[in-house]
Amino acid sequence: MTLQLLHFQLLSAALFCIGLYGVLARRSAVLVLMSIELMLNAVNVYVVAVAAFRGFESSTGQVIAVFVITIAAAEVGLALAIVMRLFRSRGTVNMDEIDVMRG
Amino acid sequence: MLLFFAAAAVTLFAAFGVVTSRNIVHAALFLLAAMGAVAGVFVLLYAEFLALVQLLIYGGAVIIVILFALMLTRASEHLGESDTRRRPFAALAAAALFGVMAAAFVADSAWFNSTTRVSVPFRTLAEDLFVVWAVPFEIASLVLLVALVGAVVIGRAGREEDETFPETGEPDGDEPARTPRSRRGERRRRGA
Amino acid sequence: MEQAWIIPVFGFGAFAFLALFRRFLPGQGKHLSVLAIIAAFAAVWPVLLDMLDRGVGEYHFPRAWFSAGPLEAGWGIIVDPLTIVMLALVTFVSVVVQVYSLGYMRHGGKDDPRIGWYFAAHSLFSASMLMLVLADNLLLLYVAWELVGLCSYLLIGFWFERRSAAEAAKKAFVTTRIGDVGLLIGIVLLVVEFGTFDITTIMGALDGSGVNQAVVTASAFLIFFGAMGKSAQFPLHVWLPDAMEGPTPVSALIHAATMVTAGVFLVARLFPLYDAVGSAQLAVASVGVATALMGAAMALVSTDLKRILAYSTMSHLGFMMLALGAGGYTAAIFHLLMHGVAKAMLFLAAGSVMHAAHDETDIRKMGGLRKRMPVTATAFIVGALALAGLPPLNAFWSKDEILLAVADGLNPVFLVLFLAAIVLSALYMGRAVLVVFFGRLKPENAGVRESPAVMALPLGLLAALALTTGFIALPIGYDGIGTFLYDAAHGPHGFEINPLWFAVSVALALGGLALAYALYGRGDSSRTDAIRERYARAHRIVAERFYIDHAYQWAIDHVVLGAGRAVAWFDRRIVNDEGVNRPGILTAATGRRLRAHVTGLFADYGIAIAAGVAALALLLWLRA
Repeated sequence: MTLQLLHFQLLSAALFCIGLYGVLARRSAVLVLMSIELMLNAVNVYVVAVAAFRGFESSTGQVIAVFVITIAAAEVGLALAIVMRLFRSRGTVNMDEIDVMRG
Repeated sequence: MLLFFAAAAVTLFAAFGVVTSRNIVHAALFLLAAMGAVAGVFVLLYAEFLALVQLLIYGGAVIIVILFALMLTRASEHLGESDTRRRPFAALAAAALFGVMAAAFVADSAWFNSTTRVSVPFRTLAEDLFVVWAVPFEIASLVLLVALVGAVVIGRAGREEDETFPETGEPDGDEPARTPRSRRGERRRRGA
Repeated sequence: MEQAWIIPVFGFGAFAFLALFRRFLPGQGKHLSVLAIIAAFAAVWPVLLDMLDRGVGEYHFPRAWFSAGPLEAGWGIIVDPLTIVMLALVTFVSVVVQVYSLGYMRHGGKDDPRIGWYFAAHSLFSASMLMLVLADNLLLLYVAWELVGLCSYLLIGFWFERRSAAEAAKKAFVTTRIGDVGLLIGIVLLVVEFGTFDITTIMGALDGSGVNQAVVTASAFLIFFGAMGKSAQFPLHVWLPDAMEGPTPVSALIHAATMVTAGVFLVARLFPLYDAVGSAQLAVASVGVATALMGAAMALVSTDLKRILAYSTMSHLGFMMLALGAGGYTAAIFHLLMHGVAKAMLFLAAGSVMHAAHDETDIRKMGGLRKRMPVTATAFIVGALALAGLPPLNAFWSKDEILLAVADGLNPVFLVLFLAAIVLSALYMGRAVLVVFFGRLKPENAGVRESPAVMALPLGLLAALALTTGFIALPIGYDGIGTFLYDAAHGPHGFEINPLWFAVSVALALGGLALAYALYGRGDSSRTDAIRERYARAHRIVAERFYIDHAYQWAIDHVVLGAGRAVAWFDRRIVNDEGVNRPGILTAATGRRLRAHVTGLFADYGIAIAAGVAALALLLWLRA
């Protein structure tokens, strides 16, 4: 069968949800960040696929993807800086022990 | 078609590995594989430039940064999954979301079933990026700058010995404009 | 006559004064109370004379009080022969009793410590009773009715330090209350049906078109139920014997002549109602004759002097009700009057005996007292013979009237039972006289002396009256009592003596007395002991008051208290534990369980967010 947008859509959705699971279920903060990266990648796939199959103004999708990657990279850097601060003060990056939002 | 399925399979398998691997370093490597596979998907979508960018930035910079972080936070000593109590619920939530999305997509594919993929000429892409999307481009560079500076600041300020996290969880480094002396005094007051 | 309303006011005023200021008055105000009742008594005679002047009949003087929507309540009065008879009786006996009390309520030369309150209650009672007989509307009547019941409670339980007295007062109040519920419902039914409280109006409209006869019938029965309570008819008679715990003058006033006659009065006042509802009238007669027999039987086996008199009262009230049930309005009220005089005197005489014998009431401990207390003995004998039905004493004439009414108006069964009751009443009266005043004087009673003048005089007065008042019935100077006291249905009727019934009643009375002499005349109980053993079981039943008290107690214990326990359980377990506590417990438990979700961990909140997003997405997709 020929490739359809649907296939890419499903791939994107699956990737996104796997990433979501990782965000929710993993203990280490770094792993959570990695899962976030997966989610962002999923978004990229979707956007580019839609642009490709749409037939006009397809550059928009890729441009958006470029920006996403850029911001993702920036975010990772910043986030890891924070994680390291966290590690230094608490000695752990276990998400389960960071219940500052409690109450 | 075959290529797609191959790429997709690798992506998903690698992603799965990221979220389920017990060894955190393995997880990072799985992430790398996933990024690569996604690059392959981009190629199938005739977005070669993007594939290159993906590999360079993700596979090159991001993964390295992550590996560094793992090293600095002694991640190897903290292994293991999350509480078993939560795993099912998280899986359930994620699966639910996937279900809804898949259903919506499948339902929509009835009327949007185009099979032609358009390739974007490189020239058009470049023009659009620097002309049509010029402002966001500038802003993106600004974001990168801020992130860079911010990461340095955050990473540096926490090096003092008598540092303790206040119970409110606010990192002290949020006020870089203060002089070191006044900051120290304020920290003392807050920490008391 | 229009000013007859002032008659109760004396009493109310005396009550208010004594209740508030008795501490400051000499003798705690007892003299004031006596003066007030004498004034009331004096005020009756102008009313009577005025009526004789203007012509005998019913005079109605309404006065408005307040109105609630279409319903009007008033202070008005009715003055008719019934009213005047009652006014005279109540005031007269009240005067006699209050004067007597001046002597009775002293022991060892000193007044009872709460004598002021005693006389206050007496005043209130007389005032309430007078208001009752004057009332022209059902609302006022009911208020007076309740006040009378209240005073009965206060006076029976006057020596409330005695447990038995307090219990007796409570019993009286509660039992009459049961009747009062019927009375109230009956009144309400009548008011709702006829739209007014006014008695005259209602009595006139009973057979009008569009009147719901079922309501009228029901209210007749219900109102009689109230009358049963106050007049100690079976089965609401249980309070009367116990009420003897009160001071004897109280028994004389309230439980011989006035309060217990309120029930009879009520039926008489509403006589057109009973005339109209034949079934109710029959019920009145039946209850009356049953009560008469029961009372007589219990009087025969009782060994307490006051209780004998109490049962006798019960029996005679039964006679009155029987008369009313037979349509004998004249006979019933006449007997009320005669019996009132005689019984009051009997109670006062009994009080005289008790006062002299240091409050002893057991007749087995008495005997031969006529040697020591001649005045008292004479008075007692006169009263006893009167109630036994011996001419020319007063109660004979009234009993004869009743006999005539029953013979004419009712099924012969009633007549037979009535005759049996007459024999019994002669029997128990003879017994009382013989056992107490004749026979050997016991050594412990050697110190007994006649009572002081203040007590003896009223006795003598009443005795004289008992001898003479009977002659009011006779057509001397006027056409006989039937022309003064009559009901609308029968109209005034002349006096008649039926020689047959005259002979029968005299014979029965004499027969009963002779039997009493035969049984008790010897001064010892040899004959009666044998009889008692022969009929031990029957004797036991009667002596235990036919176990009616036991039945009531059982009902209270099991039904009332059982229901109360059930309701209490319901309130405690269901309303409180479930209804009130459970929501609180539930809230707390829910809160506790929900609190577990507030972990402060990002991942937990993230799951919730993810689930929410999924749900929202589904919703939006389905709607689109």
